[in-house]
Amino acid sequence: MRLQLLALLAKEPAHGYELKQALEQIFGDAYPSPNIGQIYVTLGRLEKDGLVRSVDVEQSNRPNKKVYFCTAEGREALLEWVDEPTEGPRVRDEFFMKLVLAPMTGIADRMALINRQRRHYLGIMRDLVELAQRTDQDNRPAQLLIEGAMLHLQADLDWLERCQEDLA
Amino acid sequence: MNPAEVRWIRADLRARRVQALLAVLAVTGIVTALITAATLLEDGTNPWRGLFERGNGAHVWIHTKDAPDPATLRTLNGVADLAGPYRSAPATLSQEGKKTPVALRETPAVPPSVGRPLMREGRWLDPRDPRGVVVERSFARALGLRPGGPFSVVGLNGATHTLTVAGTAESGDQGFYPEWAPGLVWTLPQTLAQVEPKVARSESVTGLRLADPDATALVAQRAITKLAGQVQRVSTWHEVRASMELDNRLLGVLLGLFGAAGLVAAVLAIANATGGRILSQRRDIATLKSLGFTRRQVVRMLVVEHGSLGLLGIALGVLCGRLITVYALAETVVVPLSSAPLLGIAFGTALVVLVAVWLPAWRGGRTPPLPAAAAPPRGHLSRAARLAFLVRLPPALVLGARDAFTRRLPALLTAFGLAIPMMMITIGLGYWATLDDFRDRPEQVGQAAALTVRPGMMTSEDAHRVALADPDVVAAFPGTEVDALVPGQTRTVRARALGTVSDPYPFAVVEGRLFRDRGEAVAGQGLLDLLNVRVGDRTRLTIGGTPLIVRIVGRVLEPEQDGEVLSVALDSLAPKDAVPPQFYGLVLREGADPGAVRSRLQGEALEVSQAVSLADRLSVIRVIIVALVVVLALIGLANLLTASALGLRDHALDLAVLKAMGLTPRQVMATLVTGTGLLVVLGVGAGAAAGALVSSGLIDLQGAASGIGAGIGRAPAPLTLLLAVLVAVGAALLVALIPARKAARARIPVTPR
Amino acid sequence: MSMVSTPPALRTVNLVKIYQTGGLPVPAVRGVDLTVRPGEFVAVMGPSGSGKSTLVHMLGGLDTRTSGEIWVEGTRADTLGESAWALLRRQKIGFVFQFFNLVDNMTVADNVELPALLVGASPKHARERRDYLLGELGLSGKADAAPAQLSGGEQQRVALARALANQPQVLLADEPTGNLDSRNTKDVLRLLGEVHRQGQTIVLVTHDARVAGLADRVVTLLDGQIVDDGAVLSARRRPKSGAGDVVELRG
Repeated sequence: MRLQLLALLAKEPAHGYELKQALEQIFGDAYPSPNIGQIYVTLGRLEKDGLVRSVDVEQSNRPNKKVYFCTAEGREALLEWVDEPTEGPRVRDEFFMKLVLAPMTGIADRMALINRQRRHYLGIMRDLVELAQRTDQDNRPAQLLIEGAMLHLQADLDWLERCQEDLA
Repeated sequence: MNPAEVRWIRADLRARRVQALLAVLAVTGIVTALITAATLLEDGTNPWRGLFERGNGAHVWIHTKDAPDPATLRTLNGVADLAGPYRSAPATLSQEGKKTPVALRETPAVPPSVGRPLMREGRWLDPRDPRGVVVERSFARALGLRPGGPFSVVGLNGATHTLTVAGTAESGDQGFYPEWAPGLVWTLPQTLAQVEPKVARSESVTGLRLADPDATALVAQRAITKLAGQVQRVSTWHEVRASMELDNRLLGVLLGLFGAAGLVAAVLAIANATGGRILSQRRDIATLKSLGFTRRQVVRMLVVEHGSLGLLGIALGVLCGRLITVYALAETVVVPLSSAPLLGIAFGTALVVLVAVWLPAWRGGRTPPLPAAAAPPRGHLSRAARLAFLVRLPPALVLGARDAFTRRLPALLTAFGLAIPMMMITIGLGYWATLDDFRDRPEQVGQAAALTVRPGMMTSEDAHRVALADPDVVAAFPGTEVDALVPGQTRTVRARALGTVSDPYPFAVVEGRLFRDRGEAVAGQGLLDLLNVRVGDRTRLTIGGTPLIVRIVGRVLEPEQDGEVLSVALDSLAPKDAVPPQFYGLVLREGADPGAVRSRLQGEALEVSQAVSLADRLSVIRVIIVALVVVLALIGLANLLTASALGLRDHALDLAVLKAMGLTPRQVMATLVTGTGLLVVLGVGAGAAAGALVSSGLIDLQGAASGIGAGIGRAPAPLTLLLAVLVAVGAALLVALIPARKAARARIPVTPR
Repeated sequence: MSMVSTPPALRTVNLVKIYQTGGLPVPAVRGVDLTVRPGEFVAVMGPSGSGKSTLVHMLGGLDTRTSGEIWVEGTRADTLGESAWALLRRQKIGFVFQFFNLVDNMTVADNVELPALLVGASPKHARERRDYLLGELGLSGKADAAPAQLSGGEQQRVALARALANQPQVLLADEPTGNLDSRNTKDVLRLLGEVHRQGQTIVLVTHDARVAGLADRVVTLLDGQIVDDGAVLSARRRPKSGAGDVVELRG
């Protein structure tokens, strides 16, 4: 989560709770809701690495809050992250292991494995469709994220089909 | 009809207004042409019916010495109404020294309800102008009388009266002059009384209008019995009709042929248009079926849609035909077509149209309900096309050639649909050429003598001398026409003795040879058919009681009497029949005007008649040919539009691919035009060739059937034909170019079909 | 108890389709037994050439079966002739195709009214039904447009409206989103979900997992035979997986 937080801080200084809110607002339900404790731990590590700094801001009748801001080193690290290409997802090899190995031991039938896996994927797809419908249509990042997941799932289903045609 | 079907038909018609309009126009044109042709034919061959209908004619005319009691006649069983009795007196019409017998008949100033003369020119009788009379039109024409013109009549008492022509009229109660003589003049009673004061020298004519025309003989007999002893003469409508009938079988056969061919062409056009449209709609039809349209509904819908266009065309055609015959041809046509042929044409075309529509509709109904299965076929490169590629023909040509034959059957039908109109146009041109030939070279159809003179008051030697003295007369052949009784026939035929063995008349011999000796004869096809003999056979005739055995040595083109004429040399006849000759046939110098010669000779007090050119007699054919060419061109156009629309649709996807491959818009256009153009060239070429091949044969066949005889047919001149083909192909390409241009310019989306 | 007495919306018994291609028999569907209960949403999946399109075409009578039985609402339908199928189709079956297949010459309104007019509804009723459907599908303003003026998604929505015009017992769809982009797919999906919630029985051939994800049940065909047939259950009921894990899920 380091670089996500760094990116948000590069936009504007913020304290921990504000960062949590910003993440939720941008990604919506499509993104796992971040734990506030985790955010503070991450911020602490970033500060230790010199990528962010914090200042205490006094508040009337409340304890002081720590506002973080991005350092020059932080900006550099962010630039490096953005410039670097991101790795593509890998095929879920666990299912593939099952598919190849289980029939050898005689414990399972390939067709049944594929069918079960397909229903599982379709179940996920169903949830995604519902999620997409629940999510605000104007929240482009969230919608795109869900669509991305759907397309990946579609690819997995197509791949299952290939497996069924070739192996079964 | 289900409202859903109606909805679809409406939508489809809206989407293709031009095509629909063309289909309607094609049928309208054909039906109009058929009706006009049939009307002209009916009217031309029998004007009596129209005159009689319109004039509310009397079926029987009774001539009596004194006026019969109208009440007596009126009570006769079967008599519906009376005309007259009118007083009628003979007189002599004197014109430039020439005297013609004439019958003056009193007529009320108010045109009578029965036996009413039909005004053609001028006005009817007027009591304020007792000198004004109405002259029967054919008589007026023969004498050169015009409305307003004065003429003199001499009564039996020798007194001369000057009368003026108030108008001319026709009547179904009186045959045409000179077949029906004397000529008739309608006058006011007081005018008649002036010319012929003595009642004793006049007779009385009374017309009976019958309730049932079939009872004519019976009623006439009753009237004669009733008026015991008073009746001098009776004429019936049968005689009048017979005298007017022009037996013009050639025209009839010709019009029938053109009508039938036009119908075939129209059927092809409709079938093509319908078939093409339905073929391009297979997807929509499949969709409709998937929605729950049954096969029967689809067929019904298609038949109703396309059939109603045809029926609309027929209705419009009937209307146009009527309007044309009533207004445009008011001069020539007396009454519109009688109902039997009219209904025949309407129902015949309706039947034909429905069959032409039903076949493709039936095929459309068999479309499977799966829209995806209804995709158009793909063309593939034929061996010829590959060869064309090898020899580096332009790609547009090769691709176009491929496109043209992707759908074999429609391609063939399109070519055929163009070939038939083109063939008929070519045949039409053949008729035109034949008519031109009749006009320009009458000697080739047996009309070498443009004029015939009869001696009249002179001796025949004088007449011969006077005629030859005219600078334009080249030869004068003595001739006589007699009735000859033929063996096994109760009827007589015309035997014409013209020219002599030593100086024979230039007959148009087309088979065998001309007579060279006495006892030899030539005959027209009609006579050969009648006697069932061939050239070379002998036949025996009886002329004026004298038997005459002749050998028929040749067949001539014989425009008179349906070819039922035997021609011999004058010296073949017995002298009592041959001397003196009745007339002289005059052959004129080439380029001479027969009309001028005629009036010159008439000035010399000769009776001159001019041969009616066959071309003039058949001139109505020219009108019909022009009309038919227009209609046939329209049909061809309809065919063409269907073909190019279908081609465009079939290849819309290919075009996108071709463009992607780098063909320029111009090449794409060329491809499309080639696709249609090849079919056009094929159709037009085949049609013109077929037409040129059969045209003269066909005309000869008709000539033979009509009695004139084979040998009249002319093929259209090569230059005319070439021009017609070029015009047809050029026009077709131009028509194909417009949609092709549009398609080539348009951005064609690659849509799935 | 009603489950027992109500006949299935659709039922096939050992359904077989064999095409003759160049004299060779090519089996497309090889003995399919399928029962669709009223109100059920069944997705038929499978690789191309597995016979799924042929199956729905036979269910709607668009294609003839070689052997086996087809029952529509407890009535045997495979023995019906072409016309009887057409009558059955116009009352009980709505079809949606991949390529929309709207009648190009007719306006959107006419396309949608056509089925109602076909079963003999009054023009007024047909118009009301059309207004309602187009309104529901968000196409009220397009009633007088020609199909060619609409986008693919709009055309498919019109096709859907047309298929639903007579409130058919069964809606059959053959790859309804196969020719649409993702945004239009989403619209059509939403509509399918809605009509299903209103109790519409749907049998739908698709390659698109998003569409199949909407179904109650997925039937998988392979080489003309059913290899899997079962309900699609929400994955959330399983431990440790759910929508919140989307991002991790793709790890």
